[in-house]
Amino acid sequence: MRRLLHLPLSLILVLALALSACSSTSQPQTENKPAEQNEQTQAPEQSASTPSDTLVVAISSDQGTLDPAVSMDNSAWKITYPAYQRLVEYDGASTEVKPGLAKEWKVSPDGLEWTFTLNEGFKFADGTPVTADAVKFTFDRTLAIKKGPYDVYSVIQEVKVNSPTSVTFVLSKNFPPFLSTLAANYGGIVNPKVKEKEQNGDLGQNFLASNTMGSGPYQLEEWKKGQYFKLTPNPHHPAKPALKTVYFKIISDPTAQRLQLEQGEVDIAEGIPVEQLGAFENSPNIEVLQNPSLFVDYVYVNTSKGNEALKDKRVRQALSYAIDYDALTEAVQQGYATQMRGPIPKGLWGHDESAFQYSYDVEKAKSLLAEAGVSNLELDLLYSDNKPWWETEALTLQAFFAEIGVKLNLNKVAYATSREMMDTGDFDLSLGVWSPDFADPFMFMNYWFDSNNFGLSGNRAFYKNDQVDQLIRQAATINDQAERTKLYQQAQQIVIEEAPYLYLYQKDSLLPVSKQVKGYVYNPMLEGIYNLADMSK
Amino acid sequence: MMQIIAKRLSLLAFVLFGVTLMTFFMSHVIPGDPARMMVGQRADEETLQEVRRQLGLDQPVWVQYITYVKGLLTADFGTSIRTQQPVMNDLVTFFPATMELAITAFLMAIVIGIPIGILSAVKKDTFWDHGGRMFSIAGVSTPVFWSGLVGILVFYKLLGWFPSSGRLDLSVAAPEQITGFYLLDSLLTGNWSAFTNSLWHLILPAMTLSFAQLAIVTRQVRASMLEVLGQEYIRTALANGIKGPLLLVRYALRNALIPTITVVGLSFGSLLGGAVVTETIFGWPGMGKYVVDSIAYLDFPAIMGFTFIISVGYVVINLLVDLTYYLLNPQIRE
Repeated sequence: MRRLLHLPLSLILVLALALSACSSTSQPQTENKPAEQNEQTQAPEQSASTPSDTLVVAISSDQGTLDPAVSMDNSAWKITYPAYQRLVEYDGASTEVKPGLAKEWKVSPDGLEWTFTLNEGFKFADGTPVTADAVKFTFDRTLAIKKGPYDVYSVIQEVKVNSPTSVTFVLSKNFPPFLSTLAANYGGIVNPKVKEKEQNGDLGQNFLASNTMGSGPYQLEEWKKGQYFKLTPNPHHPAKPALKTVYFKIISDPTAQRLQLEQGEVDIAEGIPVEQLGAFENSPNIEVLQNPSLFVDYVYVNTSKGNEALKDKRVRQALSYAIDYDALTEAVQQGYATQMRGPIPKGLWGHDESAFQYSYDVEKAKSLLAEAGVSNLELDLLYSDNKPWWETEALTLQAFFAEIGVKLNLNKVAYATSREMMDTGDFDLSLGVWSPDFADPFMFMNYWFDSNNFGLSGNRAFYKNDQVDQLIRQAATINDQAERTKLYQQAQQIVIEEAPYLYLYQKDSLLPVSKQVKGYVYNPMLEGIYNLADMSK
Repeated sequence: MMQIIAKRLSLLAFVLFGVTLMTFFMSHVIPGDPARMMVGQRADEETLQEVRRQLGLDQPVWVQYITYVKGLLTADFGTSIRTQQPVMNDLVTFFPATMELAITAFLMAIVIGIPIGILSAVKKDTFWDHGGRMFSIAGVSTPVFWSGLVGILVFYKLLGWFPSSGRLDLSVAAPEQITGFYLLDSLLTGNWSAFTNSLWHLILPAMTLSFAQLAIVTRQVRASMLEVLGQEYIRTALANGIKGPLLLVRYALRNALIPTITVVGLSFGSLLGGAVVTETIFGWPGMGKYVVDSIAYLDFPAIMGFTFIISVGYVVINLLVDLTYYLLNPQIRE
C-alpha cells in the first residue's frame, strides 16, 4: 500500500518532467537546432502567407446540413453553391439569370410549362453525365423530402423527361419567379447515385448532410467538424479553376479572425464586426470591399394583434417620422447602410426611386399622435441576440420614440423564442431582417403583405388590406415584368403610406479581403457565396 | 475499493436519469419550435406540420421522452435537428477535443500550482510568497476571454511562438482517431508531425485555461501546507533531523494534498465551463461552440446528448478524485 501512495505523487512528477521536456524542446529548438526545426518554425512561416493556389476564408461557425433539398440556412450555401450546378445561374453581379446546366428554355403562354434544354458535357464529380433524369430526380427528391425548400417548389406538379437533354416542369399555377428560384441554392442538381447512399429510406439526406454530390466546379473533399471545410476542383468540370484548394476555416472569435487576416494566415474574414473594420483603412495588404446588398433591416409593427393604438395608421406614421434615419445607420452600421425607400430594396427590379420616404420630423410625429388621440403610449419591442447590432438599434429607437412621448420597453429574448413570438403575433414592435432567396419583388411584396401569410412566413405585421392583397396576387399571376412592376408599385404606395413596417435600412455588404485575392464578384443574390472558379491569387 | 467504485457507478445511473429528465423537460418547456427553425422562415403551415411529424414533435412530451430514453439504452442519442446527423457522431467529434483541452489545463494547473503553493508556504511572508500570491490572485481574477486575448497578442502576434487557433495546421493531417485526443492518438500511431503540431496548438489555450485554475491549486496548497507545517509531527520530524525535500514532500505535502484534491476535483466542473469560452477564443473545435449553436437552434437531441456526456464526464472525474483521496488518506481506507 505504501508504494501505492507514491503513485499520485510520482505521476505528478513524471508529468512535470514530461511537460517541462516538451516546453523546453518546443522553444529552444527553433533557435538552436536548425536541422530539426521543420515542424516548429516552418509552420508559422508557412501559414504567414497561404500558397497562391490556396484560398482560406475565415467563417464564424460550423454549418448545419449541406443537403440542397433541406438546407434553408444561407450560411451553409457558401459550401454547397460551388459544388452544385443549377439549370440557370445568376449572371455576374446582376440579379438576372443566364444559362447554366440548361442552354435554353421556353415557357408556355399560360406560364404552366417550362421546358429546358440541357447543355451536353457536364459531369458530376464522379464522372456521371448530368442528364434530364438527374434533373427530374433532384426535384422529385426535394418534393418527397418535404423540408424547407419544398415550400418554394410545391408549385411543381410534375417533372417530365422528354429526352436525355430536355426536361419539362409542369406547374400547378403560374408562378413568375419560378425561373429565379432555379438559380437559388436549392435548385442545385444532385447526382442520382445518392440513392446508393440511402439509409432507412432517407433519400440520402444523412449522406448529403456532410457531403456534396454535384456537378459544380468544386467538391467538398473534407469537412473537419469545428475546424474547416476543404474544397477541391471537380476533375470532370470543364472549368479549370486557379484555386486548387479552398479552405473555409472556422474561427469564431472576431479578434482572432482579424489577427489572422493581418498575418496573412487567412485571405478573407467574414466575421469581423463593422466597428472593427476601420482598422483596415490604412492597411497595405487588406481592403474592405463595400457593396450595396438586398439585405434589409426593418421593424414589424403588429397591426392587428399588438397594442390597440397600432391599428391606427397615424400612430404607425408617427413612429416612422420619429426616426432619425441617418443617425440610426450611423450608430448601428457606421453609416454603411442606405435608408429604405419602400419595401422593395434598391438593386432589385420593382424598386421605385420616386416612392415616398419618411424623414425625421418630430413635430409631425407629435401632431399625428395628437390627431389619433393617443397619449402616454407604451410599446414593447421584441428582439433577440441573433444580430449583434440589434441591441444598439433597440436602444437608439427607444431614444427616438422617447422624443415623441412614446415609451419603448425592450423585450430581448432567446432567438428561437423570438421566432415563436413573431409567429403567433405576441409583440407590439419587433426588429427583423429579410433577404431575398430569388430575385423577384415577390420575395418582398407577396411575403410581407399578403394577408394569407400572417406570422413568421412573411406578413409579420399581421397586416391586411384588401386592395393590396388584390394587387400583389394579381402581380404574382402574370409574366410580363413591366406589368408586374406597375402593380407592385401601386401596392407599394399604399403600404408605404400605411406603414405596417418601419422601413429602416438596406445594409451594405462589407468584406475584408487580402489584396492578393483577385476576381471576386459580389452578387447581391448570392450573399456570402463566392465565385471560386473565377477567383485567383 | 471495488465496493466504492461499484457504489459510485450505481449512483451514476440515478444521476443520469435525473439529468435526462431535467434537461428533457426543461428544453421542451422553453418556448420555441425546432421545426420552425428547420424549415426556414418562409415555409407554410403544411410543410411545418410535416417536419414536426418527421421529428416526432407532434407526440406528447412524455412519449417523446420515453422514445428518447429507449434510444439512449442502445447508445442512440437521436438525430441532430441542425446538422441532420446522428448526435453520436458529433459527440465523438467534439467531446474529446474539449476533454483534451480541459485535462491538459488541469494537469498544468496541478504541476505548476503545487510547487508554487509549497514555495509560498515555505517562504511565508517573503518576496516569493507575495509574488506567488499575486500571481494566483491575478489568475483567479482575470477572465479567460481577456487572458486569452492577451495570450494571443503576445505569443501569436508579437512573438510568433504559437498559433492563434485550431488544433492543427491546415496542412497537417489529423492522426487516426483512437481516443480522439490528438496528442495520444498521434503518439499511439507514431505520427510525430501531428504530435508536435497538436502540442504546439494546445499549449496556449491550455495555459490560458489553467491560469484561473492555477490560483485555486496554489492557494489551497499554501493554506494546507501552512497548517500541516505547524503541526506537532512535523516538529518531531524536524527534531529527528528530517529536513529539506524529504520532509516537505514525504511528510508535509502528502497530508496537505488531501484537502487540495477535494477542492481541485470539484473545480473541474468550472474548468469545463471555462473551456467553452477558451474554445471560442482559440477556435478550438470542442463542444462549446457546438452546444451554443445548438441552443440557439433549439436542437434538443444535441443539447441533451452533450448534457448527458458532460454529466458522465463530471461524475467519472469526481470518482477518480475520490479514489485518489482514498489512496492518500489512510483514515478513510480503514
